[in-house]
Amino acid sequence: MIRRHFFALALSAAFLAGGFLASAQAQMAQSVDEPVTITFYNYNLASAGLGREATLDLIARFEAANPNVHVEPIAAPSNEVLSRVQADMVAGIEVDVAQLVFRDLIYAANELGAQPLEDLAGDELAAHAAGFVPNGLALGEVDGKTYGLAYVFSTPVMFMNRDLFREAGLDPDQSPRTWEEVKVAGKQIAEKTGKHGFFPGAYGPIDGTFVYQAIVMSNGGGKVRDGNTLTFADKDQADAVVMLRDLMDSGAHARIDVGAHMDTFASGNLGMFLFTSAVLSRFETAAEGKFEVGLAPMPAFGDKPTAPTNSGSAIFMFSQDPVKQRAAWELMKFLTSDEAYSVITSKIGYLPLRLGTLDDPRYLKDWYAANPKFKANVAQLDRLTPNVAFPGPNYRQVENMMKEAVTEAVFGDGDPREVLKKAQDLGQSLMPQD
Amino acid sequence: MTNERRIGRVAAHGVMITLSVLAIFPVYWMIQSSFRAENEIFSGGLFPSAPTFQNYLHVLSAMPILRILGNTVVMAGATTLAQVATGVLAAWALVRWRFPGGALARSLIALSWLVPFQVVMIPNYVLAARLGLLDSVAGLVIPNAAAAFAVLVLYNAMRGFPREVVEAARMDGAGSLRILLEVVLPNLRAPLASVSILCFISAWNEYFWPLLLIRRMENSVVQIGLQFFMTQEGNDWGPLMAAATLASLPILALYLVLQRQVVDSFMKSGIR
Repeated sequence: MIRRHFFALALSAAFLAGGFLASAQAQMAQSVDEPVTITFYNYNLASAGLGREATLDLIARFEAANPNVHVEPIAAPSNEVLSRVQADMVAGIEVDVAQLVFRDLIYAANELGAQPLEDLAGDELAAHAAGFVPNGLALGEVDGKTYGLAYVFSTPVMFMNRDLFREAGLDPDQSPRTWEEVKVAGKQIAEKTGKHGFFPGAYGPIDGTFVYQAIVMSNGGGKVRDGNTLTFADKDQADAVVMLRDLMDSGAHARIDVGAHMDTFASGNLGMFLFTSAVLSRFETAAEGKFEVGLAPMPAFGDKPTAPTNSGSAIFMFSQDPVKQRAAWELMKFLTSDEAYSVITSKIGYLPLRLGTLDDPRYLKDWYAANPKFKANVAQLDRLTPNVAFPGPNYRQVENMMKEAVTEAVFGDGDPREVLKKAQDLGQSLMPQD
Repeated sequence: MTNERRIGRVAAHGVMITLSVLAIFPVYWMIQSSFRAENEIFSGGLFPSAPTFQNYLHVLSAMPILRILGNTVVMAGATTLAQVATGVLAAWALVRWRFPGGALARSLIALSWLVPFQVVMIPNYVLAARLGLLDSVAGLVIPNAAAAFAVLVLYNAMRGFPREVVEAARMDGAGSLRILLEVVLPNLRAPLASVSILCFISAWNEYFWPLLLIRRMENSVVQIGLQFFMTQEGNDWGPLMAAATLASLPILALYLVLQRQVVDSFMKSGIR
């Protein structure tokens, strides 16, 4: 892990030393009349499975529809794709389109030279975004402009081991709707079955910030930062973590290796697991013949509305050449089209950015009818709340400090509010000055 | 044999057997997991209840694993050859001749061993990009063609070589290169073998440089290939274990064939 951080740090230093910032905007070409090649940095390609197959399928469809555009796919794991983009920029290699996780949003916009889409595409962007889910465009906004187009994303949903519910004397059709109900159900599962009750995928090496932020923002809407001021230790935000600590102290929250949550659920040893719906097909395969997987919306704090936050990634344009910008924009439009989401949702399991596809027989209607579990996720999309990225060159360190503090607050012995406050004060020194 | 000695031997064997089992068990677990179906992967038990080749078929269809293994063998083999060749020549130059700055050169080589590869990774990457070496085996080998470790180990081995033998060869009219190739190297088989093995293992396990340099799955090496089964959405344990088993086979086969030479070379050269 230290070596990986060092790797990212070395790249950032080289990158900043090179002074790579957005250059002057050029007018995007109206069309691509000559053959052109654009690069597409993608992390789904760095997997040997459905994500890779679906992405290659999408690229092939796009090239068939746009014969003048050749897409050169470049695979990099999700935690390395930013480093690859930076390295190539430093080496003078043109980066045209890149799939980056939402935590990199502000860095991509302010330091990496991502193109603001309103400036390039204007009315085309507005027309293209017409069918997006509410807040869909806002997921990729920085200071009122769209830099990233939400691409493959999901929101936290509650996975349930329905067999463990039955074994504990609970009704799996009555999924816990509030955190109080999660506490009761979690304790009962732990006590009656000897297995683990509940775990949120909000900590550890696997990116779970979106789960943590969704829990925090569901407790009154407070965010983890306000401008350049960190606020994750403020009252409402800290209360959400105190609630998790209470679940832990009561025995409802599993005390397991934070990097093994998915395997714990897949092995049938966890009753409830709050995480991205993108892992549903993996769980269903692992559970086949062993236990029944259920899905429910994320729990609420009493009557307060939940704030499901987006996981996943957006696609960014870095092209400087007007013709390549047009080619890149056409690729971005295609990757967020009805046709593309038919592939992305049905093959990989991410949410469709365009809900209309779920009712359209040309796209996902039949698939949606055959996969009713997906409704739990779609049902909470009207409250989709953008994930909060951190600003400044130290954004990853700040986020890590916050994540580690939350883990310590829930798993440790100290006062969770004090743990969070201490981390917030330390992290504030790494934030940009107003 | 007295009872005490017998008990001592039994105890020693007991410890060795326990340590052997501990060392072998993860390898066994990898192999047996590779034969488990996806819904059996988390089941207990020492044997899969219904062994299947499904994971191997999945690996073979989902990624060009044989080509990736081939890339890795070529990359590790070429890197080893280059490191041993440059190591031999550099060590011979440092041992054979006294020249101004020789000690400084040796110190700088030793010092370069302490510099993490990540520090020079970006300049290397920029250079590789300009030379058109991205996404190629040549790009993986060339920046690693010289290794301070190989130079220093071979320098120490050559320094211990009897000077009288070298002088005798010189008096017989042999040049420096001939002395190196025909007199010194044939007597340094053990350190050469151990350096080669360690260089090969190090190259085989290389992760960061291929991660940065390689852009397509088919040009990848095995350490990167294994990661294709590890994603943000979880790990495909069955195929991952099958791929890891396949990746281990060449090294395992090499070890089985050269087992005696490997042990001998490490014992004689004193490298642990």
